[in-house]
Amino acid sequence: MAKALEGIRVIDLTVWFQGPVSAQYLADFGAEVIKVERPEGGDQARGVRSIKSLEIGDWNQYFLVINRNKKSIAIDLKKQEGQEIMYRLVEKSDVFLSNMAPGLLDSWGLSYEKLSEINPKLVYATNTGYGRHGDVSKPSFDMTVQALTGIMARLGEPGQPPVYLGMGSGDAYGGVMSAFGILLALYHRQRTGKGQCLDASLYGAQLYLAAPYLQSYLAGNKECALQHSRKQVQNPLWNLYPSTDKWVYICEENTDERFARLCKSLGAEILSDDGRFSDVATRVENNEALIEAIEELTGQKSHAELMESFDQHGIVASPINNLADVIKDEQAWQNNYFMKAYCEEVKREVDVRGLPVSLSETPGEVNTLGPQLGQDTEILMMDLLEYEWEKIEELKAKGAIP
Amino acid sequence: MSKALDDVVVLDLTKSFSASLTAAFLADFGANVVRLDFLPDAHADRDQAAAADAPKARKWDHESDLIHRNKQSLALDPNSEKGGKILKDLFAKADVIVTDWALPDLEAAGLDFPAVRKLRADVVYGRVSGFGPVGPDKDLPAIDELAAARTGMMPILQQPGEPPIYTGAGAMHSTALLALGIVLALVHRQTTGEGQQVDTSLFAANMYGASLDLQAFLAIGHGDRLLNPISRLDVSNPMSPGIYPSADGRWVTLTMPDTDRWWPDLAKIIGLDPDDERFNSHDKRTEENRCALIEELEKGFLEKPGSHWRQVFMDKQMSADVIEQFDYPASDPQALTNRYVLELDHPSFGKLKSLGFPVFMSDTPARLKGLAPCVGQHSADVLHDLLGYSEDAIVELAREDVVA
Repeated sequence: MAKALEGIRVIDLTVWFQGPVSAQYLADFGAEVIKVERPEGGDQARGVRSIKSLEIGDWNQYFLVINRNKKSIAIDLKKQEGQEIMYRLVEKSDVFLSNMAPGLLDSWGLSYEKLSEINPKLVYATNTGYGRHGDVSKPSFDMTVQALTGIMARLGEPGQPPVYLGMGSGDAYGGVMSAFGILLALYHRQRTGKGQCLDASLYGAQLYLAAPYLQSYLAGNKECALQHSRKQVQNPLWNLYPSTDKWVYICEENTDERFARLCKSLGAEILSDDGRFSDVATRVENNEALIEAIEELTGQKSHAELMESFDQHGIVASPINNLADVIKDEQAWQNNYFMKAYCEEVKREVDVRGLPVSLSETPGEVNTLGPQLGQDTEILMMDLLEYEWEKIEELKAKGAIP
Repeated sequence: MSKALDDVVVLDLTKSFSASLTAAFLADFGANVVRLDFLPDAHADRDQAAAADAPKARKWDHESDLIHRNKQSLALDPNSEKGGKILKDLFAKADVIVTDWALPDLEAAGLDFPAVRKLRADVVYGRVSGFGPVGPDKDLPAIDELAAARTGMMPILQQPGEPPIYTGAGAMHSTALLALGIVLALVHRQTTGEGQQVDTSLFAANMYGASLDLQAFLAIGHGDRLLNPISRLDVSNPMSPGIYPSADGRWVTLTMPDTDRWWPDLAKIIGLDPDDERFNSHDKRTEENRCALIEELEKGFLEKPGSHWRQVFMDKQMSADVIEQFDYPASDPQALTNRYVLELDHPSFGKLKSLGFPVFMSDTPARLKGLAPCVGQHSADVLHDLLGYSEDAIVELAREDVVA
């Protein structure tokens, strides 16, 4: 199969999650991604050993999945000789991506000004915490930035603590935004021959993630910022309901026809005759009573019984699945949202997150999981960067490469 | 300033917030996005809205001015003979299609991928589905709540005993993933001349928002802590991710996975001795005396208000912050400076703030060229510029109600 990004070379100087997952998208679709790591320990994510106090398993799925399809070169960028190697790599690359702090990159001689001098066609991308401009500089992680956006504070029942959208939720979004920006810049470069610099920050991405609610807030709808109870949603037909086991999400418009049908599916035609719920307006007006009445009914059945009846009556609904259900979900496997990949570390096939975007002619691929630290250093030094072996020995002696 | 997608014509055939926003996102970066408003529905919808909400009509349509910004609108009747031909001609001209229509509807209109490809062989055809292009559930409706319910995160985000949480983040992930896929296909087309179909689904998008937990469960295959909500008073590492209430009701959040690095500073700010024997190693903090530490942090942060903690975190450059509501980004200079939030002068409503652009580009920045168009605002322009219709022909089409 052809690859969408055939011939594009990416320098991936990133750690943890947002930067690596951004470069992962480029690698999945055929770019040659070279991960540059410090010789001592490499990307800190290589050290992750537990998640939510569960052992991560016998292979490091945190690191290996988001660094799949990549090569690894180990360079000590604190040394001038290491920086010289990087410059040679920059000459031969299309994209430079980093989620290190801009100040740190500057101190290593890796500013945009410097690198674009070496390669004017370079697409130079950073992933900052709070944006390229302004004066906020502070360590930034997914959740500490998510905290500022307002998206956490509006979730949960009133009075409950704010809700985190899930481990890595903001990093994942920031990673997509970063890859999108890089592709835009590549598209523009192919037309004009010009590189540029770009930034996709955790803050910017997560504010966009809040779009429907934040935009409404900006228009003066102050209640968008607040927690709302599921016991008070305007349309009781579009809501979460408990069963004896899993919750179910019912997604129906508030019309007389759909309401009658829902009542029938719950074996409670009598409800549709109740004067309090007789038309669209009264169902909105008496929403709390109706939610209680529906909950009373759903609470007596299992989710399987409810779903069977919903299916029979054409009611749109879904059980609230958990992760154990999802990893068996046939729909996810058939669409390559999950895939199998060979893991060198444990010498067997393992299950990995696949490709959330399906391209008919240039589908993404998972060929290898994340590289060993510096596994491609020598071969890249010789073949791509065209160093003589003696020079390589010299650079090793100086500690620029391991 | 140049624009990244200057030479790209996009047809916007969307209904949902998230898919319309994908088209706007491409328009933000310079694509020429033509939104198709179909007659007579488009006019009927508008008239109905105006009649139902007469007083509200004076309110800013903030949603349209976000999800349809920078677009042109062409209103036409696709069922008239001439309208049908214009539609086909437009599809033959377009580089990119963005749609969220159900497949049967696209097929009925003759606008599904195979049909469009016959009109233009190198088209990039982007669609968001509910559950993906193949598989037993490929025809389920594209409703984000249904997709989120299937993704496994809803039962674990809340505190124990609370109802599951729908965040709405999946739909927004689909916005960005579809844009990503489309530009990926454009880059490929640029070098090879080959078009293709691009699909993302609300299901995939929800999964990718949940990537770490999901990948962990794929690898481990078991674990109550990935299947059930974890109480904030029982987190694995009290320092990461911990949330604690402050004196003014705002919550404080910490992300300090490497507790050795942060402990001395954290201990001091909440009035503990960094050498306190209960907490003087990573293991003691995250295992042996984990619950005691949570209790101390709870007590410590309750002493002072959020503003105090923000200042302390900033002064000490700590990886922690205060959980804010939307009023914070709405007036945060950092959000304005980086154009994540825009200040704009609306022709009808004066000075307003509106959501801006998440990606900064030095040479081809996103820009706000226009707010949402009125239905049919650019019909004549589009017919003339893209299809070469003369002014007379356009007047004639309008008289016959083919376009408006």
